[in-house]
Amino acid sequence: MSTPGPAVASVAKPAAAVVGPGGELPIVSSDVSFVEIETLRSREFIPEAKEALSALVKEQAEGKLIRPVFNWAGRNSLFPLHWGLACCAIEFAAAFGARWDAERFGVVPRSSPRQCDLLIVNGTVTWKVAHKLIALYEQMPEPKWVIAMGNCATGGGPFRTAYSVVPGVDKLVPVDVYIAGCPPRPEALLDGILRLEALIRERGA
Amino acid sequence: MNPEDVRTKLAAAGAPGIISIEPFEGVAARVKFDPTAATALFPIVRDALGFPHLSMVGGIDWVERYEVFYLVWSDPAKTYLLLSADLDAKAPHIETASACWPSANWHEREAWELVGIQFDHHPDLRHLLMPDGYQFHPLQRAFKLHEPEDLEVKVRHV
Amino acid sequence: MSEMWINMGPQHPMTHGLWNLRVRIDGERILDVDPEMGYLHRGIEKISEDRHYNEVITLMDRTCYVAGIAWEHLYVQAAEKALGIAPTERSDWIRMMSEEFQRLASHIMWYAAFVQDLGLMSPFLYGMRDRDLILDLFQSYTGGRLTYEYMRVGGVRNDVPEGFTHRAREVLDWLEPRFVEYDRLCMGSDIFRRRCDDLGVLKANDCVRLGVTGPMLRSAGSKRDLRKDRPYSRYSQVEFDVATADSADVTGRYLVRMEEMRQSVRILRQVLDWLDSHPGPVLADHLPRWLGAPYAPIGREAYLLKRNYPKGVGLSAIEEPHGEACAYVVNEGGEHPYRVKFRSPVFANLSAAHHYLVGYHVADIPPIMGSVDVCVGEVDR
Repeated sequence: MSTPGPAVASVAKPAAAVVGPGGELPIVSSDVSFVEIETLRSREFIPEAKEALSALVKEQAEGKLIRPVFNWAGRNSLFPLHWGLACCAIEFAAAFGARWDAERFGVVPRSSPRQCDLLIVNGTVTWKVAHKLIALYEQMPEPKWVIAMGNCATGGGPFRTAYSVVPGVDKLVPVDVYIAGCPPRPEALLDGILRLEALIRERGA
Repeated sequence: MNPEDVRTKLAAAGAPGIISIEPFEGVAARVKFDPTAATALFPIVRDALGFPHLSMVGGIDWVERYEVFYLVWSDPAKTYLLLSADLDAKAPHIETASACWPSANWHEREAWELVGIQFDHHPDLRHLLMPDGYQFHPLQRAFKLHEPEDLEVKVRHV
Repeated sequence: MSEMWINMGPQHPMTHGLWNLRVRIDGERILDVDPEMGYLHRGIEKISEDRHYNEVITLMDRTCYVAGIAWEHLYVQAAEKALGIAPTERSDWIRMMSEEFQRLASHIMWYAAFVQDLGLMSPFLYGMRDRDLILDLFQSYTGGRLTYEYMRVGGVRNDVPEGFTHRAREVLDWLEPRFVEYDRLCMGSDIFRRRCDDLGVLKANDCVRLGVTGPMLRSAGSKRDLRKDRPYSRYSQVEFDVATADSADVTGRYLVRMEEMRQSVRILRQVLDWLDSHPGPVLADHLPRWLGAPYAPIGREAYLLKRNYPKGVGLSAIEEPHGEACAYVVNEGGEHPYRVKFRSPVFANLSAAHHYLVGYHVADIPPIMGSVDVCVGEVDR
């Protein structure tokens, strides 16, 4: 969940840079191979891209920003933070292994929070790590999203009664998608990521 | 190695403060000792009995007393030995084993933090698992777990 | 140059979990280290005091999430001794098989993560591919990939399904040539050798003094392996060799783990042959209802059926994939254990970090710490 005010401001700069100083449209339309690959991934891509491009033309003519294009690009290249908390981190790693290969959805883990827009909380959050988690979240640039992966991050899981465990990461940072399971299978993680993509499409970046 | 062997070797080395030596499943023997004799006993167990590897140090809160136990391993005899001492319930304390077995360092930090046993002359007795300044000893019997309340966490975003 | 402290963690690609390695450096040289643990302390030992004996097994899977079933094995052995229950013979063999499969999965996971730390991506993909085959086997008889809740006090929950041993042999047949492939990728690579040789040296007498066990100890030439030295389960009835190396460095730990995987395959073939020819019950008879119900151990009636066992203390020790793990379970007659205490091998291996890191360079930290195979869940518990 992104706070509305600064989100728009930070969106503006990269989107404007895509358009280029000349004001033409150097966007993907000429890059055929790229479009074909994307078609395999998402059937609704072509009408959506058309819509986005027409909005782009319109907004460009009006001197506005290209929010739909940015939304489309952003949600198809979610960069989660490379951070393993507990058991779910092993399934998180398995999702990037050979069998599930989450990178085909444009999800590439990065090690620095400043390069990320997705925080996957994959494990138990303790009170000792709580302020570090908030610090990492604060360092991520807007727009940013949070997935609570597994029962521990959702509500404390089997360690709910323990003296050292935060009963749910939503007490600390706003969560967009919850994934149930202890731990969730890699398919469930991929489903959660796709649901987050749908959420970004609806809600806007 | 059986309890009789342990008794003979301890007596031969002149080990002080032995209260009892009893059989225990899975280890050579369980040796109960007087905590005030710890400083003298530990090197004897390590060198004369030949137990140079300390596996773990743990504490138990028996409400009316505390117990601290040490599990040590001997490579030539291929067996464990359990040492245990009863400590006073009001102020449980015992001499550190880390001067004899350096690996006791973290185990004792954990036992101090979670069970509340004081290890005298420990080189570095500070919090290991809980944050600095944590006031409680969770593994004491008086510390009860409960369902978390519907808490509201105030996060100050900077 | 002036000295400074830097934090590697709790979010750092090197850590593989939640911990913080504080390093004091002078330029590139490491002067002092101070591991800061506890970011994943979940109070498992305390929660266990509020749980039934069988409910604690759920927590054991989460204690060490790369070797869950080995920790189940550790705990049920201690609980059985505390309660005075003996497992059936077939269940003991199934437990041993599970532990060896877990050792394979854990070592392959280590290989994938460790070599990725050195900057090589393909071993990660190969490793995860092969590990998933083992997890498929686990799934076929326990139902879980990481967290199994499979073992019970007095046996295991269910027998292996029909055709399991055949599938397991197929997986082993697939895995054995893969180890050659792993070796060619790593030991055949000059870059790998240059980054790993003579790094993080910890000699055998230091290992013993500092409580370091497992592949780290065996890479220094020691032959201590609890499966051989203090055979538990049915390890005295199978043939295998203890893998050792003598270089005491990162390469040595790599070689020990690779050889251990080959030996695990050797053990597994013997266990599968035994399972084929010896059918039998997998859960002990005459268990009280709150212990014996295989599928519903957790229920309201379980709490009502008070059945006091004689008091007892159980101690068990196993050679977990990371090293020597011990459990100490105190039974005071109730349905809950009075006190549960675990010895985590990685806990001790990490506490010696000062001795195998100081003097090396900052860039050597990822290979050295990778070779320790840190699993923070079992360190913090």
